[in-house]
Amino acid sequence: MHIRDLTIKKFNEGLTNKEFTALEMTKEIFDHIENKEPEIGAFISLNKEEAFLQAEKADIKIAKDEPVELLAGVPLAIKDNMLIDGLPATAGSKMLENYKASYDATVIKKLKAADAVFLGKTNMDEFAMGSSTETSAFKLTRNPHDLERVPGGSSGGSAASVAANMAVAGLGSDTGGSIRQPAGFCGVVGLKPTYGAVSRHGLIAMASSLDQIGTFTKTAEDAAILFKTIAGRDKFDATSAPEADKYGDELLAPKLEDIKGLTVGLPEEYFIDGIEPPVAKAVERAIEHIKSLGIKFKKIKLPHTKYALSCYYIIMPAEVSSNLARFDGIRYGDVSAVDKKLKSLSELYKENRSHGFGAEVKRRVILGTFVLSSGYYDAYYAKAQKARALIKKDFDEAFKDVDVILTPTSPTTAFKFGEKMNDPLSMYLSDIFTIPANMAGLPAISIPVKGSEGLPVGFQLIGKHWREADILGIGQYYERLHY
Amino acid sequence: MADINKKSLEHLADLARLKLETGEEEKFLKDLGNILDHFKELQELNTDEIQPMTGGTSLKSVMRGDEIFEEDHYIDADKIRDQFPEHQAGHLKVPPVFE
Repeated sequence: MHIRDLTIKKFNEGLTNKEFTALEMTKEIFDHIENKEPEIGAFISLNKEEAFLQAEKADIKIAKDEPVELLAGVPLAIKDNMLIDGLPATAGSKMLENYKASYDATVIKKLKAADAVFLGKTNMDEFAMGSSTETSAFKLTRNPHDLERVPGGSSGGSAASVAANMAVAGLGSDTGGSIRQPAGFCGVVGLKPTYGAVSRHGLIAMASSLDQIGTFTKTAEDAAILFKTIAGRDKFDATSAPEADKYGDELLAPKLEDIKGLTVGLPEEYFIDGIEPPVAKAVERAIEHIKSLGIKFKKIKLPHTKYALSCYYIIMPAEVSSNLARFDGIRYGDVSAVDKKLKSLSELYKENRSHGFGAEVKRRVILGTFVLSSGYYDAYYAKAQKARALIKKDFDEAFKDVDVILTPTSPTTAFKFGEKMNDPLSMYLSDIFTIPANMAGLPAISIPVKGSEGLPVGFQLIGKHWREADILGIGQYYERLHY
Repeated sequence: MADINKKSLEHLADLARLKLETGEEEKFLKDLGNILDHFKELQELNTDEIQPMTGGTSLKSVMRGDEIFEEDHYIDADKIRDQFPEHQAGHLKVPPVFE
């Protein structure tokens, strides 16, 4: 089987039917990575030797005819803000250039228990702050569909690696769209689960009331497999909820009659003039296609949508300024080029943070410090928390009428390098359709529109809390339709 | 709404333990000004009777029982100390806190 055709599902079939070994496939993927990496730039570090050992471990179980998990031997790409014991975890920042993780994130522990293989750590916007992967301190990642364009961000490396067949699937994190937007740009499936479904223990925190770990895959079916493996309550993440242990088999084997019975809402606030015509056309086509399954559609309103961006860019930097206070350069590896012989601790902090952080991180830390500061707190932060409650209420109301909401993932297709780097506000606008799901803690998925010409276009399905089964179910039946 | 000026920017940077270069300062003032301008739209929103959403979940904060975890979840302290750029006899080494 060619690695281009590999999905988690097909990998498992091939492996258990002994058509190939996990080691053979892992070696083949590393050969492909060696060829492609100079062009794509998806990885910050590779984990070759360890990956071969992990693959062999899966192969031994297969040789002994022991039962294995669906992810056994599957080569995965992991965003570089998740900790794998002993491996670098830079979060795309010079601040952590020399840091090596001291433990496994909970998602990594679960994947190790399933005998998955970790190919390496993928490139990302610095501390996940960006929508193009251009704020990475280390390298550019190029969109496999057009090397002159960005892969989206912040999980651009994971998205590009799956799109370029440099990994069978991958993990990312999504605070305001950092999985769904790059998935849309790169033509792969990106799932952001319900807030509280997947433990963030061992994820380098950006904005804790919004962050969620999720998946990059080639199919919605694979997304269901990978998500079910990493979901679950964890006592090391106080926000992970008991519902996270209750996901059933409907994730992996949705019934057509259940899916047909769903009603999909189309919010008028998401179908606006600012959408590029090719995106609007492609999403329209996806809607027609989904209708052919027998699913009903309904127009709905989410009236506070226009406030989501402002609300997000107050709440997120506030949390960023607090979460990133721990990066002082004295605990998580050395910050290069800083004179350690400074007179005071305070000076050392300043030197380390000024050398370690890039411009976008500094901008958000300062913005967050401002909105939380005495005299401005009520006007900005408290106001934004109230606006957030209204945005969530919009969804609560809409979900009384519909089961799933469909929108474009982004207003545009992948843009060119440098196009938005000098204007932060225009960069922020590329997340307008993905932010609201984070604000309300809802599960959402980006699925590539089938048969679209030119650059990939994604459409987004937003589900009710804990109803990943609905959005993954529509996704699975959509991808089985012949175009 | 008050904008950020040069003086308040310096104060904010100091609070956040950041040093800004001269060029960086000007760019930040312009960018932050644009961003804060955009936030003005929130003021038109009536939120008088609205309870703020203070987190990402409706879970209530609960205290866990003061119990020892039996499982092997402990992180080797040496692995953490190994990541300190400067350490001595198992302690984190830093310049003086008081001048």
